[in-house]
Amino acid sequence: MRFGTTLTDVANRAAIVLAAMLDNAPIPGVVEIMPNLVSVLLRYDPLLASPSVIQGELRLRLFGLAGAGREPRRWTIPVVFDGPDLAETAEALCMSTEAFITAHNAAPLRVLATGFAPGFVYCGLHNGLILPRRTVVRPSVPAGSVLFAAGQTAITATEMPTGWHVIGRTAFSNFDPAGHPPTLIGSGDLIAFEIAR
Amino acid sequence: MSVILKLTRAGPLTSIQDLGRFGMLRHGISASGPMDRAAYVSAGQLAGGGQGGVEFTTAGVEITIAYGRCRVGFTGGNFVGRVNDQALAWPGAAELGTGDRLAITPGAWGNYGYLRFDGDIDAQSMMGSIATSSRAGLGGLAGRALQVGDVIELSGSGAEPIVPAARERADGPIRIIWGIHADFFSQELRLKFLDASFAVSSRLDRMGVRLDDNDKVFADASNLSLVSDAIVPGDIQILGDGTPIVLMRDHQPTGGYPRIASVITADLDRFAQLRPGSAVAFRPVTVEHAHALLRGSKT
Repeated sequence: MRFGTTLTDVANRAAIVLAAMLDNAPIPGVVEIMPNLVSVLLRYDPLLASPSVIQGELRLRLFGLAGAGREPRRWTIPVVFDGPDLAETAEALCMSTEAFITAHNAAPLRVLATGFAPGFVYCGLHNGLILPRRTVVRPSVPAGSVLFAAGQTAITATEMPTGWHVIGRTAFSNFDPAGHPPTLIGSGDLIAFEIAR
Repeated sequence: MSVILKLTRAGPLTSIQDLGRFGMLRHGISASGPMDRAAYVSAGQLAGGGQGGVEFTTAGVEITIAYGRCRVGFTGGNFVGRVNDQALAWPGAAELGTGDRLAITPGAWGNYGYLRFDGDIDAQSMMGSIATSSRAGLGGLAGRALQVGDVIELSGSGAEPIVPAARERADGPIRIIWGIHADFFSQELRLKFLDASFAVSSRLDRMGVRLDDNDKVFADASNLSLVSDAIVPGDIQILGDGTPIVLMRDHQPTGGYPRIASVITADLDRFAQLRPGSAVAFRPVTVEHAHALLRGSKT
């Protein structure tokens, strides 16, 4: 179920609300619901449900989409702003490093999507703080890296390569393979970033 | 029952699998599970299957029973099995006792084979599954592929073995449904995709199978910038350099490259068994037809 082909606030909110609604009122035969940036994946067992039945059920739920949605969970993430790209990032935005950090932390961000890698979260959208990705991909950044690009801040929970600007790190881990569930932060949650003390 | 097996030979992609870890995409974890699901199930029937099994590749595998007795069932692609140098019928099953050595070497076709046992493989369940995820480093033994010297313990007793229905090796085009981005490709390009002959490249693993685009269908594919979406096994993604890749069981959870089509579930096992160099042609079917094939009500 797709709400757009570009990342917009409206499409992202619609995807998150629909996924939350499907979590709360599951459609029989649907085995997985995955909220993406602007779409929702419904994976169903064709031996248990037919596409036409699922489409019908979806239509019923879409009718109530406006005004639905849950109260977002709120998280505060302490960040050590000492990433290798921090100074360059601030400079590219014509700001001092301190001013960039202040602007970055000014307002809570919404979790736009999860699932790119275990525990990985995309948060956005920054008002006015927009910078393209780096031209060179870093082959590996550690878990807990705080990344910045395309008007978004992302937090890694595993080691991975990235083309985003590394602006800091956090001790917060959003992935515990033995946990139930294994990640805590979900799409639609609100994240306030603060300078780690 | 308690049985101790020791791995005395293993290829780099030998792993413990079960049917998979479903429902974890939002946490960033794809399901994993056997590359040839039907063969995994069939090997389990031959063994009187307990939990889990060992997936091996054309590098073959060898196990020695350090302690105890068990029944092992084996099938998959075509392989040659021997117990203490005595040849076994393939596919099949065998009773193994302390000191017995089961050796598997590659045969005429296929990439993957399975060993299942009449006891449960003793491995820590992660998110409801013991399947090894090479991408997330989860499941199996310490989240990694099996290595020579690894010890696998079996406990409990399985069910009565049953003789599975004979599995015929199908050939012909790999059937697809059009993918979530099919409409981003021109009609002309979609037709070329169906007419073209691709080949399985040597770059294949549990995450994906890259295809050689011999007819250069995607040579001029523009590097579309897409909003990322969840991936499912079988998705055919066109990379920025025009390489088609069929995403397999250990696929990345989300992707931002355009996906022109998806291999239907009923044909994904067969596709996984195609060796490098095999020709591949694609044929579109409707979703309804794909479901009928999966139910076995159509061939």
